[in-house]
Amino acid sequence: MSTTGYATRPAKPRSAPPRPGFRLRHPRRTFRITTGILIALLFAIPIAYVVMISFESQGQFVRSPLAPPTSPTFSNFSAAWTQGDLGPQVLNTILYAVVAAAISVALSLLIAFPVARRLIRGSTFIYRMFVIGVCIPLPVIPLFIEAQRLDLYNSRIGYILLHVEPGLPLGVILLTAFVLSVPEDLDEAAYLEGCSYLRYLVRIVAPLAWPSIVIAFLYSLLQVWNDIIGPVVFLSDPGLFPVTRGVYNFYGANVSSYTILAAAVVIVSLPVVALFIVSQRQLLRASVIASR
Amino acid sequence: MAQAYRTPSKVRLLSRPSRLVMWGGVALGMAFFVVFGIAPAVANIAISLTDYSGLAGASTSFTGLDNYTTLFTTQWPGFVASLGDSLYFVIGVTVIQNAIALALAHRLRGTGRTASLLRILVFLPIVLGVTVVGIVWLLIFDPQSGPAQAILGHVGIHSAFFGSGSWAMPLTIMAQVWQNLGFTMIVFLGGLKAIPPEIFEAAAIDGVNGWQRFRRVTWPLMAPVVSVNVTFAVIGSLTTYNMIYILTDGQFGTNTLGILAFNTAFGNTADLGLGASMSVILLLLAIIVALPLVAFLQHRERRLLA
Repeated sequence: MSTTGYATRPAKPRSAPPRPGFRLRHPRRTFRITTGILIALLFAIPIAYVVMISFESQGQFVRSPLAPPTSPTFSNFSAAWTQGDLGPQVLNTILYAVVAAAISVALSLLIAFPVARRLIRGSTFIYRMFVIGVCIPLPVIPLFIEAQRLDLYNSRIGYILLHVEPGLPLGVILLTAFVLSVPEDLDEAAYLEGCSYLRYLVRIVAPLAWPSIVIAFLYSLLQVWNDIIGPVVFLSDPGLFPVTRGVYNFYGANVSSYTILAAAVVIVSLPVVALFIVSQRQLLRASVIASR
Repeated sequence: MAQAYRTPSKVRLLSRPSRLVMWGGVALGMAFFVVFGIAPAVANIAISLTDYSGLAGASTSFTGLDNYTTLFTTQWPGFVASLGDSLYFVIGVTVIQNAIALALAHRLRGTGRTASLLRILVFLPIVLGVTVVGIVWLLIFDPQSGPAQAILGHVGIHSAFFGSGSWAMPLTIMAQVWQNLGFTMIVFLGGLKAIPPEIFEAAAIDGVNGWQRFRRVTWPLMAPVVSVNVTFAVIGSLTTYNMIYILTDGQFGTNTLGILAFNTAFGNTADLGLGASMSVILLLLAIIVALPLVAFLQHRERRLLA
């Protein structure tokens, strides 16, 4: 057993020299461009098609379903706006989504701060409940019965209250993660200065946590906007419908005039697409935080 | 640890009114969580033991496990069939969504303008929502006026698509995947970004590139993220039914357990008790599926990272 044996062993080449074929830029570039175009087409074509037919007259749509409109018309949009009664529904959706999401985020912060700082007993237990809450969907049947018993059925306030809870789990998780990154010395300094709890939360923590608050707000908002089962189960008065149910009913009632339906789909998508253009950076970053 | 809970000394720094405000805030938030989250989940089990119809004037009585035995008898052939539809949907969505999302994340992980524009485009269907996306695909695959029929007609394919027993399920899976790809891709991107670039540099120095680099370096390091996405996809596709509600309402071989429970409760049968028993079974299935999956994926993570 001599240790010198290792030293005399010839050094093994660590790797083969790079093959010249891999140095060629050209095939790789072609591959990247092709896949890029494919991805763009896969996601743009379905949306572009609906936008396209929303500018077609009914006659042109029936004659040539694949060709772009020869003489674009805006008549579908005015027809959809009046026939589908879209104005009040867009306002309903904005009201439901903004108010429910705002309450949801405010409550998330009120829970997340004491939980992250362990100011209350059972902080870990509460946090775990919300983690489970992210994965498990809400059972709609008991919620329907509850809504009727608590007089929340078919009412604007009821619909908003019912949509606060779905935003809580993600909100609490995101904001807890954020509060943990704020140095605790800051709290102590503020308390010793005589700053009240609520004032500290509103004036110091909320501004610091603003990016996380925006993300939690946006996801809560999208959840309310996205809901189609809720409007079917919890609302019966068409005057209270959000756009999702309105445009879905419009589909059922207008199988013959798809161009007007397409215009309705474009109209109801505009507010949320505008919001997306403004906030895409936050939305796309959010899931990265949530995945940790 | 318990010691820390018993004497939360930090609380003492707060004034008495501040402490009351803090507890009040937590109580208010938890009240929403309990009333609209936990209570319905528990009530669901109670409702499943009754014949509650939800219709005015109808009497309700405690029926024990009757709803559950009914489901497995011949009176309800739809239930056992729906388990098969659910399995088809869950496997289809989970496999396709994760495979495509991983490829997309790998292709669009760059920082350039094209990659970031394409990422936004892939994410767009999530923002558009289930209703809009559902109607988009219904318009495209309309048997009379849809462009899909116009194109496929040239190769001799004529179908009712969402109204056809053989096409409805694959198309529903496709629409579901198309809508949710953005989120899965973003989670994969987070995993890719978390890999230190030095590892890729080291691999490049060792001459490891292309498929080998993906297989030997990227894939093992992505294990935690893959498990997150697969678990979410299985639980999500098992319990969701809003896309199916828009596209087919459970007809033409797309009658998954979720949409069947919904239609049993709120459709013509108007049987909230029976519907609740189905959603209890659905939740149990989700837990049963999730537990071994989580255990397996954690085991795999450890093996790949060892």
